[in-house]
Amino acid sequence: MKRRGKGIGCMWYPIGFTVMANPSAATVKVNTDGTATLLTGTVETGQGALTVLGQIAAEALGISTDDVHVVSGDTDTTPMDTGAIASRTTYVTGNAIVRAAEAARELLFEAAAPLLGVKADQLEARDKRIQVLGFPSKSLPISEVALHAETNVGRPAIGSASYNPPTVPMDPETGQGKPFNTYVYATQIAEVEVDDETGEVEILRIVAVHDCGTPINPMLVEGQIQGGISMGVGFALQEEILFKDGVQVNPNLTNYIMPTSLDMPELEVELVDNYDPTGPFGAKGAGEPTAVPTAAAIMNAIYDAVGVRITSLPATAEKVMMAILEKREQEAKSA
Amino acid sequence: MLVKLKVNGELRQADVPPETTLLKMLREDLGLTGAKLGCDVGDCGTCTVIVDGDSLNSCLMLAAKANGREITTIEGLATSADLHPLQKSFEELGALQCGFCGPGMLMSAKNLLDKNPEPSVHEIKDALSGNLCRCTGYTKIIEAIQDAGRELSGAAAGN
Ligand code: FES
Ligand code: FES
Repeated sequence: MKRRGKGIGCMWYPIGFTVMANPSAATVKVNTDGTATLLTGTVETGQGALTVLGQIAAEALGISTDDVHVVSGDTDTTPMDTGAIASRTTYVTGNAIVRAAEAARELLFEAAAPLLGVKADQLEARDKRIQVLGFPSKSLPISEVALHAETNVGRPAIGSASYNPPTVPMDPETGQGKPFNTYVYATQIAEVEVDDETGEVEILRIVAVHDCGTPINPMLVEGQIQGGISMGVGFALQEEILFKDGVQVNPNLTNYIMPTSLDMPELEVELVDNYDPTGPFGAKGAGEPTAVPTAAAIMNAIYDAVGVRITSLPATAEKVMMAILEKREQEAKSA
Repeated sequence: MLVKLKVNGELRQADVPPETTLLKMLREDLGLTGAKLGCDVGDCGTCTVIVDGDSLNSCLMLAAKANGREITTIEGLATSADLHPLQKSFEELGALQCGFCGPGMLMSAKNLLDKNPEPSVHEIKDALSGNLCRCTGYTKIIEAIQDAGRELSGAAAGN
């Protein structure tokens, strides 16, 4: 008989480790056509980092993302970055970019101030213009200001900065410290159907709610969460590296089974509206945490459906069936 | 042996060893590297192309067997003026992340929409079941295919 159950998995996940140096550096250069060039040492691996980092630079400079040319991942030419690891890119690299863009913007403000007859701290960068705070009509195009800064003032609008989440040493006595600068949180709920005659588990639906601070690009975050869930689904029910005498016996996709389109349930993703004052424009991060609660939610749903606890992954049909049979046996004994 | 094919509307030919797969010929002899080599044994779908109106894994077909047939690869999807509606929907809805599965996904999707312009979610999942994706969880890919299907059948209906 097919039995349904629901389970919840919750998690927190650390962003921006502080136990040792964890820097990212960035350079932002405002060009005389009003575009900007962003140099970053991080790499795009499909997570959408370069889009998000370009958005962060654009937001700080008051220009559009399309006008930011991102140069990345070349150790010859780009500033140092600790790496596209540890779900740190938006937070750590993003913070470096905000600071670099602000430094470039400051040079634009200083160049524009005398032209607009105000002090530099009374200016803002918006809609591709440098304008007097609250007076959009008193403004100059960024392209013009950048040219003026270069050719008349002699201080081109280039900013370089780095960000390193403040390193906090661990107390050697107590082993306590502050290992990370911020944390993200999520809850996922899985609904499953378990066949109690075969042990087969089908996931019907997963709802995921994540707090990643203010999402810079909600569509990309949603995609990362959906992808993370598919990894969690594989982790929960299918994926396993099998060894014999130290050699992997399932080294290809014929026998290392990962979720196909048919294995994926209906997904519903929601982002919690939040703002982290330490992140770039309130953002924390997504990445790895998206895959963390999925298997736990599925295992709890299996328990809800058939009353067995699966404590080693993946929960293959054999394992689930064995657990059901064991439970029946115990129940028969105690009856 | 000399293999002659029509690829993306153009007659192409190459002299290849008999054990050459269609994928290898496309990539190495014809310079069409859009179809990807993922596994080379038919498990992943990154090498998907359309041969005489059916999508298949080009790593499993010998080039010789494709002789005289009509092949569409990812390079034939867009025109110089415009992306294919599927490509536009994939881009607009963020349906790919690393993109490695993309060429295969798009060719499987095109093959589906050519035959079934308004497929259900289940029909889409079925059509993509041979195309593995490690990154997206397939959700946005499915949405993009539905979106392109609506666009294409809307255009066909003249609106
Ligand atoms: S390369 Fe052809 S199916 Fe993987
Ligand atoms: S987008 Fe990376 S494999 Fe599909």
